Amino acid sequence: MSANIRPSGVFDVSYAQDISLNRTRTDKIIANGLFVLLLLVPLLTVEGPLGLNLLPQTWIGLMIRIAIFVIAVQGLNILVGYTGQISLGHAAFVAVGGYTGAVLARQLGFSFWAALPAAALFTGVVGLVFGLPSLRVKGFYLAMATLAAQFIIPWLLRYPLTPWTNGSRPLEVPPPTLGPLSFASENAMFYIVVPLSVFLMLAARNMIRTRFGRALISIRDNDLAAEQLGINVFSYKLQAFFISALYAGIAGALLAFHDNSLSLDKFSLGLSIEFLAMLVIGGAGFPLGPLFGVSFVILLTQDIIPNRLLPLFGSVLPTLLPFIDPVNITSSLSPLLFGLILVIFLILAPRGLAYRWEIFKIAWKIRPYSH
Amino acid sequence: MTTFLETNRRSLTRAAYAVLAILVLLWLGPLILEQRPARLIGSTITGLLVGGIYSLIALGIVVINKASGVFNFAHGWMMLLGGLLFYSFFASGSVSPLAAGVLAALTVIMVITTAGWGALRSPRSLALGAVAIVVLTVLLSLSGAEWQFIRAIAGAVAGSVLVGLVVERFTIRPLIGQPLFAMVLMTLAISRALNGITQLIWGSVEIPLQVFSWVGNLGLPMPIRFDARDTLGGIILIRTELLFAFALALVAFVAFVLFFQFTNVGLAMRAAAEDQRLAQSVGLRVRIILAVAWAIAALLATAAGVLQGGATSLSLNMPLLALLAFPAVLLGGLESITGALVGGIVIGLVQEWANLLFPGTQAGTELAPYVVLMAVLVIRPDGLFGQKRIERV
Repeated sequence: MSANIRPSGVFDVSYAQDISLNRTRTDKIIANGLFVLLLLVPLLTVEGPLGLNLLPQTWIGLMIRIAIFVIAVQGLNILVGYTGQISLGHAAFVAVGGYTGAVLARQLGFSFWAALPAAALFTGVVGLVFGLPSLRVKGFYLAMATLAAQFIIPWLLRYPLTPWTNGSRPLEVPPPTLGPLSFASENAMFYIVVPLSVFLMLAARNMIRTRFGRALISIRDNDLAAEQLGINVFSYKLQAFFISALYAGIAGALLAFHDNSLSLDKFSLGLSIEFLAMLVIGGAGFPLGPLFGVSFVILLTQDIIPNRLLPLFGSVLPTLLPFIDPVNITSSLSPLLFGLILVIFLILAPRGLAYRWEIFKIAWKIRPYSH
Repeated sequence: MTTFLETNRRSLTRAAYAVLAILVLLWLGPLILEQRPARLIGSTITGLLVGGIYSLIALGIVVINKASGVFNFAHGWMMLLGGLLFYSFFASGSVSPLAAGVLAALTVIMVITTAGWGALRSPRSLALGAVAIVVLTVLLSLSGAEWQFIRAIAGAVAGSVLVGLVVERFTIRPLIGQPLFAMVLMTLAISRALNGITQLIWGSVEIPLQVFSWVGNLGLPMPIRFDARDTLGGIILIRTELLFAFALALVAFVAFVLFFQFTNVGLAMRAAAEDQRLAQSVGLRVRIILAVAWAIAALLATAAGVLQGGATSLSLNMPLLALLAFPAVLLGGLESITGALVGGIVIGLVQEWANLLFPGTQAGTELAPYVVLMAVLVIRPDGLFGQKRIERV
C-alpha cells in the first residue's frame, strides 16, 4: 500500500524535489489552480454575489458536507489506514467535538473561532482516554474497546450531561460570526469549511511523510519489528488516537455550527460504520482516500439513491416482487445498496478508489505503453 | 522506586483492583440497600432469564468465531430476519405457494452446492434436490392454524440456513486470508444489507410474536406472582413468556453443546476450529465445515430471535440487543462455550440490576454491559474461560 506509486523511470533528482508537495511545476500549477477554481464555485450559484444561477444551490450544501466528512474520515485514516488500529467509535468522537463546540458557544459565550480549537483539543483528550486500552490489547480486542466508547459517550451526553446537551432533544447552535460578518448562509460557510478541509488534508499528508508518520506506518505493518527499531509503540499509538480524535472534533464542531443544530441520533453506530465504509471505499492508507470515499458515499446516499435510483426501484420492485410494500422502499433502499456496494468493494477492490486513481495516473503518464 | 514498581507489579495491580472494587462497593452498596428485597429478587430472576437468551446469542457468535475467526456483527440482524420469517409463516393462514417454492428452491440449491457448484451437474444430487424442494414446498404451504408451528419452524429453518450459507459463500469465503479489518467491516456491511432487506420486506416493524399464547391454556398464571409483602416488602412478578423463553433457550443451548460434543460433524467443527490446516490434512473438508458453522450460527440466531420476539416483541431494537452479547462473549472468553453461558447470564443480571439502581436512564441496556466490557478488556482480556493466547501487547 504505497502512497506514491510511480512508473519506472520517474525519480527525484534533488532533495528539494523529494520533500516538496508537488513534484513538478506543472503539478504545482494544477494543484493551485484547482484550489482557486474550488473557491470560485459559490460565485456561480443563485445566492452568490453575482447571482449567476449556473450551478444548483444544493451543490454547495453537498460540497460542505463532503468537506466536513473528509476531515472526520482523514482522522480515521490516520488511525486505521496508517496505524492499523480498528476504531468502531469514530462517530462518538465527532459527537464529542460537536457538543463541546456547541456548549462552549452557548453556555460560555465562546466565539466560533475559539470554540473550534477548544472542541478539537478536548475531543483529542477524550480520544486519548479511550485509546488507553491499546496499551494492553490490540487487533480485534481494541475494536471492542472503541465499540464500548461508541455506546458510553452518547449515553453520557444523553443522560448525566442533559443540562448542557439537551438530552435526546436537538440543541440549537448559533452561526459563526467574525466582527460584522455573519456566516449563517451556506455560501459563507463554504469559505470556512472548504479551505480548512484542504488545509487539514495537506497537514495529514505532510504528517505521514515525517518521522512520526513513518513510525505509524511501521507500527501498522509490523509492531514487533517497529519496537525493535526503537519506536515507542505505545506512545505513537496514543498520539495516533489523539490526532484522530482531534480531526473528529474539528469535523464535529464544524457540523454543529453548519447545521445550527445537533441531535444525538445522528451519531449512532451506523455513522461509525459509514465512516469506516467511506475509508475503505476511498482507500485506507492513501492521502486522497478520504476525499474519494466521502465523495462517492455522500453523492450516492444523498443524491443518486434518493433522486435517481429511488424512482426506478420504486416502480420496478413492487411489480417484480408482489409482496413488497412500496412504502418501505424509501427507507430500505439506502442501507441495502450501501451494504451491497461495500461488500462488492471489499471483495473486488479492497484497496479502494485512491489506488485505482494512482494506477490510472501511471497508465496516463506512460501511455501509449502498457508497462 | 522504579525497581520497586517493577518487582511488585503484579501485587500492586491486584491492590489497585481491590481498592477500585471497594470504592465501587462503597458507591453501590447504599443504593442496593435502599431497594426493597422483593424488587432485588425480582430483578435478579428477570436478569437470569434475560441472560439465558443472551447466552444463546453469544453461543452463535462464539460458533462463528471458533470456525472462521470472524466476529459476526450481523448476528443481530440475522436474529431479526429469522424471527420475522418465523412470524410470516406463523401468523398468516397460508403462505403463497410461489414464495414458499422460491424459498425452498433457493435453500436446497445452496445446500446441495455447499461442496461446489459442480453438484448441479450430477444427476443424483439434482434428483435429491428436486425431491427436497417438493417436500419443503409442501411443508411450507400447509394451510390452517393447526399446522402453524410446523410451517413456521420449517420456514425459519430454511430461511436461516439460506442466509447463513449465502453470507458465508458470497461474502466471507472470498475474504479468507485478508486482514482482520476487512473481515470486521464485511460483517458490518452484511448487517447494513440485512437491515435493508428486513426493512424492504417487513417495514419498520413492532410485532409481538404470539408463540407463547398456548402457555395460557396450560393453566399457568400470566405473569406468575409471588406475594411476599409481609416478608420481603413487595410482590415478585415473573413474566411467564420470559420463563418459557429461558427454558427453551437453555434446551437449545444444551442441544447444540451435545451436538458439538458427540456428533461427527460437531467433532469435525471443533477440530477445524482448533487448527484448520491440521484438520484439512487428516481429511476433513474445512470448506464444508465453515459453511455448516455459518448455517448453524444462523439457526442459533433465528432461535434466539424467535424466543426474544416471543418474550418481548420483534422490532428494529433487536439488533442493538444482540450487541449486548458482545460483552457477554468477551467476558466468557472468545472460544469458550461455557463462557458464552456464564457471560450471557452475568450480562443479563448486570443489565437488570443497573436498570433497578438507576431508573429512567437506560443504564442497563445502554451503559452497564459496555462498562463491563471495558473492565474485562483492561483487567482480563482473555475472559473468564478463554484460552490464554490473546495478542497481548
